[in-house]
Amino acid sequence: MDKVHLDIFQPQQVKLQDDFDHVIVPGIEGDFGISIGHTPFITMLRPGVISAYKGDKVDNYAIHDGFVTVEDDKVVITCQTIEAAAEIDAQRAKKAKQRAEKRLQAPPDSSDIDFRRAELALKRSLVRLSLKES
Amino acid sequence: MANTRDIKNRIDSVKSTRQITNAMKMVAAAKLRRSQEKILAARPYADNINKMLRKLKLKNKFTEHQLLYPNQDAARNAFVFVTSDRGLCGGFNSMISKRALIYLEEHKNTDIICIGKKGYDYIRQHTNLEITEKYFNFFNEMDFSISKQIADDLLKKFLKGDYGKIDILYNEFKSAIQQNIITKQLLPIVPAENEEISTLDFIYEPDDNTIISELGEKYIEVEIWRIMLESSAAEQGARMTAMDSATDNADELVEELTLKYNQVRQSSITKEIIEISSGAEALK
Repeated sequence: MDKVHLDIFQPQQVKLQDDFDHVIVPGIEGDFGISIGHTPFITMLRPGVISAYKGDKVDNYAIHDGFVTVEDDKVVITCQTIEAAAEIDAQRAKKAKQRAEKRLQAPPDSSDIDFRRAELALKRSLVRLSLKES
Repeated sequence: MANTRDIKNRIDSVKSTRQITNAMKMVAAAKLRRSQEKILAARPYADNINKMLRKLKLKNKFTEHQLLYPNQDAARNAFVFVTSDRGLCGGFNSMISKRALIYLEEHKNTDIICIGKKGYDYIRQHTNLEITEKYFNFFNEMDFSISKQIADDLLKKFLKGDYGKIDILYNEFKSAIQQNIITKQLLPIVPAENEEISTLDFIYEPDDNTIISELGEKYIEVEIWRIMLESSAAEQGARMTAMDSATDNADELVEELTLKYNQVRQSSITKEIIEISSGAEALK
């Protein structure tokens, strides 16, 4: 078999189980592609886009955190939030982006947690928007 | 002897109780199915987190990562006690509450964390121990974010070094008529050794310790989620069985009362006939 198998698991559901030619994943230390024969690998993920290629078709997913395991041509992604391009509400993402930007411009005396939260929210909305516009 | 009207009233009231217990049985059955579906849906995720953690533990045999090794310096331990928020579910809460008291008897210097109202009430009534933290009304909504919140609270305290270890006591769903009471060590993490894992040499990014921290956090989140779903399934199963036998009992009672009602009615008729006939006899 010359395909990699991709599983995406969430606490609430099994999101996806399918075979692909290759998969591109946003690892914490950089994006990387997985084709057959990839070396065994475990990494954390950063907010970004997962692209799964099959023939000339490509499926895109926005992901925010989680882990990926590569073993025996099987790719397993365990994460809490993941959305297919079609599931993303561009309007909502845009509003979230504006909200986050506004918060980040606030005077720096506000607490660190709020700042970090806004930063993460901004990252999430940017990932969603990038997927929607591509 | 009771008169016919009293018995008639009893029959009516038993019948309306029967209706309620029967409805509760149906609702419990539906909720049980929902909990079971959620348990099944969470399993691949949980298994996979567990597998990754085991691989990391295997590779880092001598790690002293805080999430994997007991904290000897801590003065206290913690005890998480999972019960239901509502009653009318047979021995579901009382059995586990008795077990909790035995545990607390054996383990002094333990902070108590209650998930579910019934267990909280029981400990308050039967001991004068202080309850550190309580979480109610999870079981209505059954949302992952709630168990995540609980996990985050526990982790925060554990990582601060407040506790040497955290145990959890809960009901596991075995079948609708059977629950197993389980005591389990939650932290430090002991990954379940349920299946073979490969001993391949993995590349890890970033470093092992960061992954262990991050994975451990996710592990506790999903573990709490799983335990709460188990407990909820067990609760609904127990309630279903309890309400089923309550409905059966009501049926029996109605039958008995109807028999009695007929007897009383019959004997009053007989009495009246005797009175009339003896009256007629006296007039002769």
